[in-house]
Amino acid sequence: MSRIVKSREFLVLVLLVAMILAVSTVNKAVLRPITLINIANSSLFLMLIALGQMFVILTRGIDVSVGAIAGLSAVVFGFALNAGLPLPLAMVTALLTGTACGMVNAAGIVLAGIPPIIMTLGTLGIYRGLMRVLTGGSWIESIPHNIKALAVTRILNVPLMVWGVGALVILVAILMHKIRWTRNFYAVGDNSEGAYLLGINTRLTRFVAFTLAGLFSGAAAIVFVGQIGFVPMQTGDGQELKAIAAVVLGGVSLMGGTGSVWSAVIGALFLTAVDSMMIFLRIPGSWNNAVAGAVLLLVVVMDYMIRRGAQRRRLAARAAEMLRADDTDDGAGGSKSGGRSGATAGAAGPVGGEVRP
Amino acid sequence: MKGAKWFRSWEFMLLLALVVELGVLGLINPAFLDVQNLLFSTSDFVHVILAAVGLTLIIMTGGIDISGVSLMGLASIVLGLSFVAGAPIWLAVALALGVGLLAGAFNGTVVANTDVNPLVVTLAMLFFYSGLATGLPSLLDMLGFKAYGAGGFEAYQYEGINGLPKSFTWFGTGRIGWVPMPLVITIVLSLAAGWLMTRTRFGRFLQLIGVNQKAALHAGVPVRRTLVAVYALNGFAAAMAGLMLTAYFTSARADLGSEALLNIITAVVLGGSSIYGGEGSVLGTFLAGLVLGYLRQGLLALGITSDVVPVIVGALLISTVATRIALSALNRKRANRAAYEAERAAVAAIGE
Repeated sequence: MSRIVKSREFLVLVLLVAMILAVSTVNKAVLRPITLINIANSSLFLMLIALGQMFVILTRGIDVSVGAIAGLSAVVFGFALNAGLPLPLAMVTALLTGTACGMVNAAGIVLAGIPPIIMTLGTLGIYRGLMRVLTGGSWIESIPHNIKALAVTRILNVPLMVWGVGALVILVAILMHKIRWTRNFYAVGDNSEGAYLLGINTRLTRFVAFTLAGLFSGAAAIVFVGQIGFVPMQTGDGQELKAIAAVVLGGVSLMGGTGSVWSAVIGALFLTAVDSMMIFLRIPGSWNNAVAGAVLLLVVVMDYMIRRGAQRRRLAARAAEMLRADDTDDGAGGSKSGGRSGATAGAAGPVGGEVRP
Repeated sequence: MKGAKWFRSWEFMLLLALVVELGVLGLINPAFLDVQNLLFSTSDFVHVILAAVGLTLIIMTGGIDISGVSLMGLASIVLGLSFVAGAPIWLAVALALGVGLLAGAFNGTVVANTDVNPLVVTLAMLFFYSGLATGLPSLLDMLGFKAYGAGGFEAYQYEGINGLPKSFTWFGTGRIGWVPMPLVITIVLSLAAGWLMTRTRFGRFLQLIGVNQKAALHAGVPVRRTLVAVYALNGFAAAMAGLMLTAYFTSARADLGSEALLNIITAVVLGGSSIYGGEGSVLGTFLAGLVLGYLRQGLLALGITSDVVPVIVGALLISTVATRIALSALNRKRANRAAYEAERAAVAAIGE
């Protein structure tokens, strides 16, 4: 329990609730259920690409092409629907497009050894360019209406898509918990060489991570098209940076190995909530980015300070223990140098647990 | 860098690529090779080169600053707003450059004093500065400042600020001899950055930090001060690039340069800098910027739509890095093979 309370995800969740409560003192309308449902609903796109991004960053990579992948998948999805494909089949096409794009990234990074930021920056240009080339630069409209039904249908006042993505998130969380192989993401991100020596297939793990990022971006494209019913050229523009911001805000470290599904979920909710809160505070929308940036900086710096504080406390405790060990050793009549070695042993004792007298 | 060594350097390859590229484009469309035309078309992309030169210094230290693209817009809008608020143009320019310098220094301070990844810090600042740039007009209205024209500052938020004085726009549209001013500014600042990197202690410090930050700290390098300074310089370069664009378009806008991130990083990496730090050259970045810029111009001149250009730039970025990786792997293999042969020969000699 205390582990949950101390986690970064919890910190950001508390900040989120605090922000909503603070705004509610100015404008009561924030606390209406419909407002909260709307925030959840408009965060779905960001949440899905952030979820994919999470796998990549867990393995200490980065993928700046997720927004472009979502855009390209949305275009393919729109084409498939307009070509008269049944909805489930069109969805599969979108997911396959995303997966294929992710696999191209993975191939460049894992097989050719290109640094992730360079590879995905390159494919960002490629996918976005392809998207414009495919459509000739015009929007895809006149998409059949049955896709809109997904977004409009509500169960218990909550849109079907929120239920769907919610179920998906929980499913992923359970799979991450149940399948032992998913620990590989953390191992590879935390210490790639160590993971390799343990017999983990690090290359496969990173390949899968980038592929999953593509898959989830494809899923995000389905949500996007479902929600607005057409495909504008700007689909996914700039969303890659938002996705990175969301997962980092939620506690995924760019140094790899830390974070969870909930990081992506809470981070995406937070960034979307910031935008909504601005509306309720009647602050012009032009400030959205400034507030999101300030919050992100504040949270990562605060996180650093908390970690540094904990580290200092740990060191202080160890120093105190060393001093105590030094005293008892001197009392037993050991020489000064003997006392020192005793002190090191005493300090190492609780840490290593293997000190012989 | 003399003689044969220079001919095998990456910079020479880039120069060669530039010549070949211009030659090929000239063969297809001879009008492209007009000297005046070549010089003038640089005004469309030198802001990318200038920002990339600033970024090269940072990448040298193993860091990165992606917030420069937002600083271009911020500097532009600061200049425009202070101008319509009645400040003389030189003061407006000084303010804009000062904002760039300070914003960069702030990035550097956070990077130097925490262990937060520079990419995360500057990602946050990318959002923050772009939000500041778009929000500034309404903020000034709220604070009660007065602007020329009806509707206060907010009227300028979307349409940009025009009517800047000739003495300022000359820096974007004027020329000395045949050389347009933006190119002059970029060359001067690139020379300064190159001098800083190769001829001063500061440049050595940058490289040492990039190779091994801990070792640099133990060797007595003022790591924090150097980092703050280099991020501040990058902020200055980005602000300068923003002002150059403003003068060139004769209009101050908050979203100037926001499209340039892919091009800037491509120029730096194509120029031979390693994103892991400790390796890079200003000359390389400058040449790579020219190669990229002319490629874009040439493709557009050939009637290829601008939609395809990012595809080509992206493919170029990936294939360059892949080639460099393959080349270095090949070199390593060759060196290993040579060492192995030498070892065998030595063992055989002992055996005889």
